This record gives sequence, C-alpha cells and structure tokens, in this order.
Amino acid sequence: MEADILIIGSGPAGIQAAIHASRRKASTVVAGKPSASAAAGTEVDNYFGAGEISGDDLIAKGIAQAESTGAVFVRQNVVSAAKDGDRFRFVLDGGDEVVVKAVVIATGVSRDKLGVPGESELFGKGVSYCAVCDCNFYKGRRVVVVGNESEAAVAAEMMTGYASETSWVHWNLEANPVLVEKALAAGVRMYGSKPASIGGDGKVESLTLEDGTVIPTDGVFIELGARSSADIAMDLDVMPEMDDSIKVDSECSTGVPGVFACGDVTGKPWQVAKAVGQGCVAGTNAAIYVRGAR
Amino acid sequence: MVTELNETNFDSFVESNHIAIIDCWAPWCGPCRRMGPIIDELATELAGKVGVAKLNTDENRAIAIRFGINAIPTLLVFKDMVLVDELVGLRPKESILEYVSGL
Repeated sequence: MEADILIIGSGPAGIQAAIHASRRKASTVVAGKPSASAAAGTEVDNYFGAGEISGDDLIAKGIAQAESTGAVFVRQNVVSAAKDGDRFRFVLDGGDEVVVKAVVIATGVSRDKLGVPGESELFGKGVSYCAVCDCNFYKGRRVVVVGNESEAAVAAEMMTGYASETSWVHWNLEANPVLVEKALAAGVRMYGSKPASIGGDGKVESLTLEDGTVIPTDGVFIELGARSSADIAMDLDVMPEMDDSIKVDSECSTGVPGVFACGDVTGKPWQVAKAVGQGCVAGTNAAIYVRGAR
Repeated sequence: MVTELNETNFDSFVESNHIAIIDCWAPWCGPCRRMGPIIDELATELAGKVGVAKLNTDENRAIAIRFGINAIPTLLVFKDMVLVDELVGLRPKESILEYVSGL
C-alpha cells in the first residue's frame, strides 16, 4: 500500500503522531502492536487530565481517536526497511509492503535481554542477539532461537541455512502464522516453554527450559520483540546512539530528510507526557514535510 | 584509512605492533556498522601507540575460525603477539580508550 506517512510504533508517541499527521490530511499508516508499548499493562497516574487510567485504556482510546481522524492501524511489525529514492519502503510481518514519503520512528525502547542465568556470562561465547550478524559462525552446529515474535521466526528459518539443527523456543507465540509455517517447513524444531538458564563452561552447551527440557546446543540466538529501532534507523541511514536511542532536534527530525522520531526511543525521560509531546511535534512535522514533498 | 587485514597480512600486522587491536566485522552486521566509525577514530587517535585494523570475517573465515570468533563485532587484542583479550559487542570509544590505557 502507498501512504504519506508510516509511523512505526503504536504506543502513546506513535498514536499522538498519527492524530496530528492525520488531522493535517496526511494519509497515515501506523505499524506495530499496541500490546508491545511500554505503557501497556501499566497504571498511568501522572499524565495531565487523565487521573488514574490503565495504559491499555489510554492506548485504546488514543487509537480510536486516531482512527477517527483517518489513521490506519495495521497491528503488524516492521521486518525490513529501506530508502528507495525519495520514498521509504517497508515490509510488515503480515507480508504487506508499505511505501511512504515520510517516517516517524516511535518504537519505544528495545527490550532484547532474556534475563536468565548464563546469558551475560556466555555473551559472545554462544549467546548472540543478532542472528543476521553471527549466523555464518554456526555452519554445521546446533542452535536455538529464542523469541515469540516474527523476528524470531525469520531468524529460525534463516538459521536452518547454516546450522545442522535449529530449535525455536517460544512461550507466548505472537509471530505471524505464515512465517511460523515457513520456519517449520524449513525443519525448525519448536519448544513451547520459557527459557530458565543457559548452561556451559566457557561456551554455550545447553539451554534449559522452565518445563525441565534441556536442549543441547552450541548457540542461543535471542530475538525478542520486533525488529529493533536501531536496525530500522540504520536501514534509513540514521545512526543510533550507543544506547540505541535516536537523537532528534527540537523538530523531532533525525537529520535524514523525511525521517522523524519521538517518544522513549529518543531517550529519557520515558514518560507518556514526553512521548505525546514529541509525538505531536513529529506527526506535525512529518505532515508538513510530506506536503512539501508532493 | 584503517588497515584492512586478510590472510596475507594478518600475522605480519600483529607482529609489527606492540599492541594490536583488530575489529572483526561483516557488512550486514548492524552493530559492526556502528563500530566502524569508532574504529576509524581510534586508529587516528592511537596512531604510533596501538595498531588498529579491521578484519572482514566473511572474506576471511579461516582467521575467524582460528580465533574461535562466534559473534561480531569482536575486538581481538594482541600484546607482543599474544592474544590477551576478545572484546565482544558494540562499545563506546571512551571505554575502548580506557581499556587501552590499562594495557
């Protein structure tokens, strides 16, 4: 589909950006899963005028408001991004392609760590957070991919091209079913239990699950959540900071024409109030940019 | 311009530098692309004190296997031709400079 603006992230920053972009008559698509927002599942009690409200209610009301202005929420994650002349081209995990004139990165903060014993000790010794980076080192070896989203499905399928055995551990599967089928068809073995610990003496030797299963392996690839904001930013020629945040100016511009960012991804404070403030600025300026680009 | 190492010049680079730091990377690795400019700056700032070079692990798999590299970016650190450390993952320039000052 073609649109004026793609907003990546459907938390408070992305929703506010969508409201302001749509009200300026820019056709606006919002990618991402609202349940992945940091505000989801929390109680918000410090946001002006809202009193005490659950993050889920705030997000649901915000989405309804944004939809009433014309924004389209696709509830799919971005799996790839690319610049294409003066356009930006995205593929979503449902297989849809979106081509736009401007982008607002509102992905929030990436949560990439699993937080189990052995993970930090064995990082670089079999534990990896980047299947694309490290797949080549696991030719003919056994690997386990860990994660619930489409990013894990894509990684698992890709690893079958390198590893002798590829397992995929998930415990709350939210990956696109088509991508899950592709991984299974490629020979991936699935396990449905949360990881408990990573074992090994100097190098990864096994992954133990909470249900007691022990998977012997040479590598554990941790692929949690959606494609990271840092990866998306680099695909769009924006260089992230060392902490994966994206630097913006007072206009919420990243410095790359047509690429804006707002919310937690731009750095602290990680607050709804700051997210919606920046969302307003980013959505407005993206719409102004698109009008100039027409 | 940072020296690009390969099968033919890797050992001689390590031999000719009291301290050698080698950035193992690959083109499709996002964190490696972020590490690249940091390595460029380090090569300039540490010139004459530390030999800083890059190794494309995709084009030089034998060297990657020789040093048991499992993840990139990895910095291989040699002192007097002995591998003394492998620093795995993206890290800021300041932390590398601090590390080098302790060698």
